Amino acid sequence: MRSRFARHLRSVLSGGPSSVGMLRAARAARPPISPELDGHQYAIFLLRVAAGIEHALMAQYLYAAYSLGGPTVVERHRATILGWQETILGIAKEEMGHLITVQNVLRLISGPISFDREDFPFDAAFYPFDFTLEKLTRASLAKYVYAEKPPDWSGPLADEITKLATAANHEAAPNAVSKLYELMIETLADPEIVPDRAFRAETRSTQGSWSEWGRGYAHGERGNTHGASPAGSPDLIIRVMSSRQDAVDALREIAEQGEGTTLTDPAHSHFQRFLTIYQQFAELETAADFHPTRPVATNPVVEDALSEHPSHNACTVITHPVTFYWAHLLNVRYRLLLSGLTHVFQSAAASARPTARSELITLVFGEMYKLRGLSSVLVEMPAHRGGDAAHAAAGPPFEMPYTVNIPLREVDRWRWHLSMLTASRGILEHLVADDDPARRAFAAAIRDGDRALIERIERVIAGLEPGDMT
Amino acid sequence: MKLDEIRILPPLAIARLGNADEPVNNYDLQVAEGRPLGYRTIVPAPTLVVDEASGAIVARECRPVTFKDAGGRIRPVAPFLELWGREGTDWRHLTLDDLQGAAIRWRVTVGNIKVFRRTGDPNDRAIATTEWFSEHARMPLAGRAANFLPGKSIPFGDVRFLRPTAEFPQLRVRFTPAHGYVYGSDAFVRKPDGSYALDGGGYLQPDANLRDVVYDASKGRWLGHNEVVVPNTPFEPTLTIPPQIFAGASGTAPGEWISSGYLDDECDGIVEVEVGAGETRLRAFARIGAGPPAFAPDSYPIRTVYDELEQAMLGPTIAEGDYTDDELQREAEEILRRAFETIRLMNTTLMNGNEFPEGIDIGSTMLRQDKNDAARAWEPIMAPTLVDNLAVESLHQNIVGVLRSGAPPWFISTLRRFDEIGDLTDLGRRKMPAMMRNADGRYLCLTRRQHEKIRIASLQFASRGGKRGTP
Repeated sequence: MRSRFARHLRSVLSGGPSSVGMLRAARAARPPISPELDGHQYAIFLLRVAAGIEHALMAQYLYAAYSLGGPTVVERHRATILGWQETILGIAKEEMGHLITVQNVLRLISGPISFDREDFPFDAAFYPFDFTLEKLTRASLAKYVYAEKPPDWSGPLADEITKLATAANHEAAPNAVSKLYELMIETLADPEIVPDRAFRAETRSTQGSWSEWGRGYAHGERGNTHGASPAGSPDLIIRVMSSRQDAVDALREIAEQGEGTTLTDPAHSHFQRFLTIYQQFAELETAADFHPTRPVATNPVVEDALSEHPSHNACTVITHPVTFYWAHLLNVRYRLLLSGLTHVFQSAAASARPTARSELITLVFGEMYKLRGLSSVLVEMPAHRGGDAAHAAAGPPFEMPYTVNIPLREVDRWRWHLSMLTASRGILEHLVADDDPARRAFAAAIRDGDRALIERIERVIAGLEPGDMT
Repeated sequence: MKLDEIRILPPLAIARLGNADEPVNNYDLQVAEGRPLGYRTIVPAPTLVVDEASGAIVARECRPVTFKDAGGRIRPVAPFLELWGREGTDWRHLTLDDLQGAAIRWRVTVGNIKVFRRTGDPNDRAIATTEWFSEHARMPLAGRAANFLPGKSIPFGDVRFLRPTAEFPQLRVRFTPAHGYVYGSDAFVRKPDGSYALDGGGYLQPDANLRDVVYDASKGRWLGHNEVVVPNTPFEPTLTIPPQIFAGASGTAPGEWISSGYLDDECDGIVEVEVGAGETRLRAFARIGAGPPAFAPDSYPIRTVYDELEQAMLGPTIAEGDYTDDELQREAEEILRRAFETIRLMNTTLMNGNEFPEGIDIGSTMLRQDKNDAARAWEPIMAPTLVDNLAVESLHQNIVGVLRSGAPPWFISTLRRFDEIGDLTDLGRRKMPAMMRNADGRYLCLTRRQHEKIRIASLQFASRGGKRGTP
């Protein structure tokens, strides 16, 4: 973890007195956890760490889900593996809900929002485990189970999973996300640490609402076609908040959805859903015909030039000349998605009429859909020059852009998005000549859609107030 | 005559009204090569050109497609119906030679019973028949009802047995529909209470909507017919849903709707054919109808008559092997394409129930329907910020784009099932197709067969990617 984060968490991670306790102690003239932070700042800091974790988990879960399938899945395992895929995609969407709700808490207490996350490789520290994009295995499942586990989980299965998760995490003990949420809840709940005046009810209309972001993923109404997830899931938690109690309740709800300690039906928790898949996986993996995943790369990355000499030990550099451009395209669209998200949360409040906010939310969902399509292409493409996807496939790299910040002026923010579409157009020039007809058709569709998107963005720019232009 | 049976194909043909002399030329709808997310393009297709004087086909060629003539009159759609025959297992479009001297005759009977549907008076049925004919002249379809004025009729168009020639020997008839006019019961405008409306000078006002007065208001009760729907009480089961969908005006008592006595020249009915030689008589029939012109001819509605017929014929479920993965994928893409074509025609912000400077509830929407039918609280269907028309259209176009990657459809749960049309919860109202009403007055849904196709298409790995890695 970068030292700018870790240095504020040293006491928490070392198992010493809790930071909250230390903050309280600070009021009694004892040194606080960090002399540089007050309680309000500390809450914002924790929320931003949480946002990075939710974002990272989401990307890893998506990668794991997309690794499932392929021609090696035999008919008798097909329904089970389809069910796993849908369950994990559902959990990833719930992580998206958590991410939005955490941003809402940040808005509520006037903190800067954050769609940043660590890129790989990096050490675990407060993060559950090393960020690793990898295919679904029993070992990766062990990490996911451990990360989502309730604090008091124990027994032989817990021991087995802890051991496996630790080994899979390069022998470093992983962390459970619950620890961070417990700390955040304790911090936000305490008026001695975060004063009442920090909670700004007037930010409600600038927060992301379920009706804007939920897309029907409530109480299992959507995303459980195969019936593999427990009835009632997935269920996106997106809360708009006005008060301290709202924030505490929302974070508690998120924590519970992860670990499931107090849920009416614990089977709905991420922990239990992953544990179920883990147990099924363990049972099936001894079968000779059990090949649930495609041979996707671990931590695929794409350089700015084709390289025959991978430069990252822990990464797989994509060197196949066509895959190379598809991977770049995914990275650009991922960046556009993150820029759009940041822009929405910094834009004008929701209103009774469509505004540019509507354009932005549409842009974000449009990019999410494209990432879905691009991921499905990349898991089927060879990673290496001269290689074939049946032995070494690529996978969606989800590489973080050099910045997720967006320009200050509204007009420049829209131009920012346009610049990514320009970069995308250059890449698409290569891809509309792809030999594969389906991929070629997909590239042509993206290019066609971008044409309309650029027109709409230019219309937004033309409609901005003169004050926004200067 | 060696024929075993005969058929008229297509068995159902729908004409479109229009008052131009020349019908619309034939065309196809295609997705343009370089614009996969654009609207369909109208592409000329081979058209049979009929000589008016002789009734013979004189050419088969692609011609420019226009929907109005130089005078701004709407070109009708005038379908051809072909006579096919089976000899053993061989079906073919018949010529006179195939009949081997057998006599052929046609009869067409069509009607417009919309007024009868309202009044229940059998004398309000307007029926036209040609009686049996074999000649090649246009056979007019004059709709008459017992309650019409003496000698008056509504022209429903005509039908013509096209003259076979050496170049075009096949047997076919053509139905040319009516012009799309309004007929009435009084030459002057009447008020709901039956009195005449006067203009500023105290003169009677001629009813400018009318082509002709055909209905005898002293015999029938259509003019002034009062269809009463008392608010917040169950509808009479005989009423259409929604009721009161005819030209008229509110009466003095709540829920009254008084008919202006209008009729139109749409119709539907059957075309019969008989081929006979000696004791042998072969008969067949087909259905025809005439509806309003298409004002968005480059797009298809979400749910079409074709979809209904396919379900009626093949059933609501799909058996394994009925379709390939690619066919199902194309089906999913087609639904999304129809969706964004339809969105283009919708005022989504109004239909969503957004607030306007004029207020709320300023148009006929599903929200009003929900409020009136089920006393549901007025509440926009989607988040008001999200329903900008171009944004909604773009979102659907994005999905079409992703489907082109071969990724299976992932939105099956967002589609309204046939048994969810009355679900007025937030989630239920947000299902797709959104904001639109079906003929039963409730939210539109796909046919069960359409839904099933997409459901099966969705049962693939999200990383399937078309045929390349089909598990």
